[in-house]
Amino acid sequence: MTLLRAENLTKRFVSRGPLGARAEFTAVDRVSFDVRLGETLAVVGESGSGKSTTARMIAKLMDPTEGRLEFEGEDVTTAKGAALARFRSGVQVVFQDPFSSLNPRHTVERILMAPLLYQGIAPKGGRRAHAKELMERVGLNPDHSLRYPAQFSGGQAQRIGIARALAVNPKLVICDEAVSALDVSVQAQVIELLRRLQHESGFSYVFIAHDLAVVRQIAQRVAVMSKGRIVELGPTGQVFGDPQEEYTRTLLAAIPRINPEWDRRRRENS
Amino acid sequence: MSELLEVEDLTVTFRTTRGPVDVVKGVSFTVAGDETVGIVGESGSGKSMTSLAIMGLLPKGARTAGSIRLNGAELLGRPDRELRRLRGDQLSMIFQDPLSSLNPYYTVGLQIEEMYRAHRGGTRKAARQVAIAALGQVGLPEPERRVDHYPHQFSGGQRQRVMIAMALVCEPALLIADEPTTALDVTVQAQILRLLADLRRQSGTGMVFITHDLAVISSIATRVLVMRRGEQVEYGTAEQVFAEPRHDYTRMLLESIPRIDDEVEEMTA
Repeated sequence: MTLLRAENLTKRFVSRGPLGARAEFTAVDRVSFDVRLGETLAVVGESGSGKSTTARMIAKLMDPTEGRLEFEGEDVTTAKGAALARFRSGVQVVFQDPFSSLNPRHTVERILMAPLLYQGIAPKGGRRAHAKELMERVGLNPDHSLRYPAQFSGGQAQRIGIARALAVNPKLVICDEAVSALDVSVQAQVIELLRRLQHESGFSYVFIAHDLAVVRQIAQRVAVMSKGRIVELGPTGQVFGDPQEEYTRTLLAAIPRINPEWDRRRRENS
Repeated sequence: MSELLEVEDLTVTFRTTRGPVDVVKGVSFTVAGDETVGIVGESGSGKSMTSLAIMGLLPKGARTAGSIRLNGAELLGRPDRELRRLRGDQLSMIFQDPLSSLNPYYTVGLQIEEMYRAHRGGTRKAARQVAIAALGQVGLPEPERRVDHYPHQFSGGQRQRVMIAMALVCEPALLIADEPTTALDVTVQAQILRLLADLRRQSGTGMVFITHDLAVISSIATRVLVMRRGEQVEYGTAEQVFAEPRHDYTRMLLESIPRIDDEVEEMTA
């Protein structure tokens, strides 16, 4: 079942030079894809590929210049007011830098209660208890609910960001480079958490990333973007195992790899 | 002397309000004249502090103990004036973010010329020819034209090439590269890694390559030092560290890296 449908999404930016010269730049050029219920679709690309602009448009943090966005069969391209609030109760975002996306002056409890207050949701047992439950679900100690973001490590802070996204029980979570800033050992734990949460609740992810190896661990389908367009879209195994486009092949070939011979010997020894 | 750089029992201590904190604790390694040694670790491991100690660029208030010898001569405790003379000449460094290490107000040519003349002297005209040659050597097209451009006129990868040109213009004995490809796109990273390996081979410069990325280290280093919380966890040839890691922490790091070529278990959607 299709949860979200992007149709020819286009974003053009206009800048004016010092002499009033008008320059137009197309950041995203007629991008179309579906997100199915329960799946993880990754959008990968290098800087300037348009992947983050695409993420912002499907999260409705930015309006497209052209194109159409549907969520659960409803046109939300120009959704405002109540319709936008309804969209936000179904679609949440986890950002790259947890510290800049969490209010440093608010306790974790307050951060996790905010989406419920905004949506006017009163869970059974109260919002405080709900916040503690969320902390437990993402592997944080609920006794720390009155601490501030700065009192947590980077990996823990990202867990708070994930918990906040899950507070309204969304159907789609957009992860915009959500594990890119984390150390590799912490990154592995957060990826595992993201997979477990999806397994438990059955929501979908759109996973925006530049790291293809990370994407391989989490996505069923991959869209490869370059210069504002989707150049290739297909099942992860196929896109990575048998890429059809030259650009995808170049991207895959450029990834640094641990000497496979050394890797094999290490695995045999352990 | 076969070893170019010898670091022995290096300790770096900061004084804080809560008392002294050792950010590097007794690290020892050597770099031969024609090899690349990789230092790998997660954030807070002390890998960057180790490189700054070698360069004599630690923040004020940092205390060092142990020994850092370049071609047999002790670097620790040398006056600033002497270290300044060594930097750019015998020792060079490139950083993660070339934009913040280049002066936005001067053309890249002028910055390379100044670096060259500060150590080698000569006329501006001669230095300009050296700068053009250096830019050509790092693979920038049209170096005669690019030499008069400002840093903002270059892409991220080109800027890192400019930094490399500047670092190598005096043909230093040792180049320290601190996360030089971390901010770059993966295709650009591949080009810069190839360039560094080629230049190192041609010039016979020794290199210390600092990164959090084990796959990058695997492709460039002959020996590897693994650091964690200021301590040296493991030190050996790249083959030994990657194929037969002795320490649990190294093994854990290697197991954490997502691999692009692996079969991934099917996920239930």
